[in-house]
Amino acid sequence: MNRAYKKIDQEDIEFFQSVIPKSRLFIGEEIHEDYSKDELAGVHRYPDVVVEALCAEEISKLLKYCNEHDIPVIPRGQGTGLVGASVAIHGGLMISTIKMNRFIELDKENLTLTVEPGVLLMEISKYVEDEDLFYPPDPGEKSATIGGNISTNAGGMRAVKYGVTRDFVRGLEVVLMSGEIIQIGGKVVKNASGYSIKDLMVGSEGTLGFITKAILKLLPLPKVAVSLLVPFPTLEQAVETVPLIIKSKFIPTAIEYMERRVIKNAEDFLGKKFPDASSDAYLLLTFDGNALDEVERIYEKVADVCLEAGAIDVFISDTQERQESIWSARGAFLEAIKASTTAMDECDVVVPRNQVAKFVKYTKEVESLVDIRIASFGHAGDGNLHVYVLKDQYSDEVYTQKLKEAFDLLYKRAAELGGHVSGEHGIGYAKLPYLVAQQGPVYMNLLKGIKFAFDPKGLLNPGKVC
Amino acid sequence: MAKIIIHNEKVKAHDVLVNLCPFNAIEFMDSKITINSGCKMCKLCVKQAPDVFEFFEEEVRRVNKSEWKGIAVYIDHVEGDIHPVSFELIGKARTLAEKINHPVHAVLIGENVMQAAEEIVKYGVDEVFVYDETELKNFRVEPYAACFENYIESVKPSIVLVGGTTIGRSLAPRLAARFRTGLTADCTVLDVQENTDLDQIRPAFGGNIMAHIHTPNHRPQFATVRYKIFDAPEMIDKPFGKITRYTVSKDLLKSKIEVLEVHDKAKSESIEEAEVIVVVGSAFKKKEDLSMAFKLAALLDAKVASTRPLIEKGWMDAKLQIGLSGRTVRPKLIITCGVSGSVQFVAGMKGSDQIMAINIDREASIFKTAHYAIVGDIYEVLPKLIERIENERL
Amino acid sequence: MEILVCIKQVPGTTQVEIDEETGVLRRDGVASKMNPYDLYALESAMVLKEKYGATVHVLTMGPPQAEHIIKEAYMMGADHGAILSDRKFAGADVWATAYTLSQGVKRFCKPDLIICGKMTTDGDTAQVGPEMAEFLGIPHIANVSKIVDVTRSNMTVEMDMPQTVEVAKVEFPCLITVEKGIFQPRLPSYKLKKSTAQLNVQYYAFRDLEDQDEMKYGLNGSPTQVKRIFPPVGNDAHEIWEGDSDTLTNQMFNALMRLKFI
Repeated sequence: MNRAYKKIDQEDIEFFQSVIPKSRLFIGEEIHEDYSKDELAGVHRYPDVVVEALCAEEISKLLKYCNEHDIPVIPRGQGTGLVGASVAIHGGLMISTIKMNRFIELDKENLTLTVEPGVLLMEISKYVEDEDLFYPPDPGEKSATIGGNISTNAGGMRAVKYGVTRDFVRGLEVVLMSGEIIQIGGKVVKNASGYSIKDLMVGSEGTLGFITKAILKLLPLPKVAVSLLVPFPTLEQAVETVPLIIKSKFIPTAIEYMERRVIKNAEDFLGKKFPDASSDAYLLLTFDGNALDEVERIYEKVADVCLEAGAIDVFISDTQERQESIWSARGAFLEAIKASTTAMDECDVVVPRNQVAKFVKYTKEVESLVDIRIASFGHAGDGNLHVYVLKDQYSDEVYTQKLKEAFDLLYKRAAELGGHVSGEHGIGYAKLPYLVAQQGPVYMNLLKGIKFAFDPKGLLNPGKVC
Repeated sequence: MAKIIIHNEKVKAHDVLVNLCPFNAIEFMDSKITINSGCKMCKLCVKQAPDVFEFFEEEVRRVNKSEWKGIAVYIDHVEGDIHPVSFELIGKARTLAEKINHPVHAVLIGENVMQAAEEIVKYGVDEVFVYDETELKNFRVEPYAACFENYIESVKPSIVLVGGTTIGRSLAPRLAARFRTGLTADCTVLDVQENTDLDQIRPAFGGNIMAHIHTPNHRPQFATVRYKIFDAPEMIDKPFGKITRYTVSKDLLKSKIEVLEVHDKAKSESIEEAEVIVVVGSAFKKKEDLSMAFKLAALLDAKVASTRPLIEKGWMDAKLQIGLSGRTVRPKLIITCGVSGSVQFVAGMKGSDQIMAINIDREASIFKTAHYAIVGDIYEVLPKLIERIENERL
Repeated sequence: MEILVCIKQVPGTTQVEIDEETGVLRRDGVASKMNPYDLYALESAMVLKEKYGATVHVLTMGPPQAEHIIKEAYMMGADHGAILSDRKFAGADVWATAYTLSQGVKRFCKPDLIICGKMTTDGDTAQVGPEMAEFLGIPHIANVSKIVDVTRSNMTVEMDMPQTVEVAKVEFPCLITVEKGIFQPRLPSYKLKKSTAQLNVQYYAFRDLEDQDEMKYGLNGSPTQVKRIFPPVGNDAHEIWEGDSDTLTNQMFNALMRLKFI
């Protein structure tokens, strides 16, 4: 994709200024450092111009102009992505949605919420929970925008029971690169009207269209949530118990696994003790429901499954402060691991749930094989693992070499187990080579064909996904 | 005495009534509404459903209020070093005393505390009651309570104010229990009526509710108050109060507690515990410049915390990061210096009582959250503020 | 060693709001729970039990539903629990609560050590423990931040003071109230939940207590009365200060003075 794009000149800037007032337009030096990167370490590139859009019409004008003038456009939310998907690797015009942050409609009769893309995930949960409603997708980064969540088909902890972002998007308003504004899907529950453009758009990482509105599906808010913290003698035993839980048909909302050393990182990072120190490996299960006795009945079945599978005990977390003592640690894992080392990179593979144990075991082998520290935690219940390869004392050169070695091994093994390159963080720029390696030319050509149908000149978020 | 009478024959929607009580004390059992031991006598139910709930007051035990005269302040100190809350209470006691024409007393218990007594007189009390014995060297609850009891027995004060410190919160309950009287903790407002009844307002439910409490039929009326709630009084030009030494029998000075050691407290490093926090943000151009923030923090007895960019630069420790993925803080005061206010950061500090934000950019998003938005350059404001506070200290 | 831990059932959240006009209190549907501060008291008892060997008793006063927190204490390792429950205890303030509990203790067990949480999240008074100690005629130490040593006849603890720490040795029987954070409370165990399912909870009513003077219990025994409850005034200040740095410094300085930070 290394074609030449038009460099933004004064004339282009004058056009942008005719659409966007000065207070929402930043050029060159005026651009805040944050816009040069996302949460992926190592990739920095400033866009030439950043605008903060307010509505679809503005975006439509900008896209139409850029399409005619061969200028790359990069959609941008809060920049919390982990794969470089919102970095302007070819420069160009970055359009931020942070000012498009209005709640448009809460439709209690259809149980839908219509929002602009810049609304934050944490704002959505608060907004709907005040009305006793529930938006289940629960990615770790609560300050991400919903537009970003939709663009990566973000997953999160509750995927085991409720599914991922795609399952909760009913409709979208999208600006195409040509400048046309289209409505996709809607408030309907069923839809068999041709190809599902809506499902294509979700997870397209801003390469197919610019999302300017989203209709989200809501559920009634479960009244009770209980977590179980289950210590096991070994990590293998913990992870091997997951398929047994799934098989029991009493499905938790979330199944996470965690290791003592990652917990220790979080304890150091937060300066708080984790409520149990008896074991090296834990499963963390969450259950929700409308009444305590209903939830109790279900979690007791699962607790029995765990004990039979060799769990040391099963600890019950049923109050706000107990939940906080566990979940604040869980929520800090990423930052805590980061704080424990000099640099890191991550692989976010997903494998079938009954293969999680094998993959986790393999990360340990890679750790000694490549001689580099690897930390991992993840959503054992949906097979999505977060594996971090840590730089520690190594020099840049050695680390780059070792990182490549480790990643090659991990992605290869994931594919062998029937897995995929990304569970929830997306492909962006950073994971593209691994996607190509796994999927091969036929599949990649399909992706490119889809991209071509939406954006024939390849100007919308170029260099990402395919 | 008072109670709530329930007119069950008038109950229509029992579930509505059950929900009236914030303390879950109203129950519906055997088709009758009853009140259980959770009742706090807040009388919300009487207010909300007066046809069903009736407040009924029987003949009460009367106390002869005119026999109880004086407003006493317990002087909180460690080895004669007086805790400033005691002066604040003297100030409050003087205001209250003026209204009802009572004297203000200070009760000072310890070893070698005569000098401290001299200091107290300067704040305008009428009399300092001093118990000065070797056995009273360190705070031990039994002998201290015995001395305080002796004071109350001999003087019969109407109101006793005690600082909400470790000692105060240990001592006041023992005496309130002993005198079978009321004690209201952590009052934030105190006023007195002509009949000497003390109006006390205090927070409950972690500060989400305020309660107005009084002690109509018992004396003395005990209240504890935390540090920095009331203003310290000015010293008076001509102290007039007298200092009197009292003693109790040696028997009463015995204790089952032995103080082995008193040492200074190790300063907690954790920013979550801090009452005042100074936060450094991206506006700091060099690592050395952070010293301004540390200087200000030292003057305000504050901790310095950081936003994420400075941690990524390696200038600050990751444990000092405020934000969604770092630590959540709720100090009494937070001063953010050159912090733009990302959503992640704001989510970690927006519960702070007072938020002062210094930022050069009038549009900075931190100003949406700040109670006091200071549009200025930290490189100008901080040095001047530090100098100003230092001058004040001199 | 016999250890008694006093616990209390409190509303599941302190996020209550009150409408000043109507006096109506809004709270969400969160159920009751054990007072969070009591978890530290219970954990302290469990640590002592594991280290020195002890029987841990738990005592609460409240409606019959409070049995739930006794069962929860069993799931955390307590051996024996009782509830003081009677309509005659309704409306108790600190004095009456502490008196009732002290009467309950006399009936229930002979503790060497009574441990209370520092305070509750609904009342926030931090007084019931010390008042109980007075009624029982035993010494107490409040705000204990560390247990240094325990022997057959006494214990050594650190008391947290505003500027200092006092290390004190206190003879049994005694009462301590413990600070949040003295130990990290353990989570209730499902194994213990199963094994203690049949363990009963002792009930005591007014008629079971030694002092039969009704005027010392519940509302009758409460010297304080609540006149009214109302919402707190929030800090909704939103001032923008602009000008030269001297003006700004002045304004900041004055505000810091007014708010008593200088």
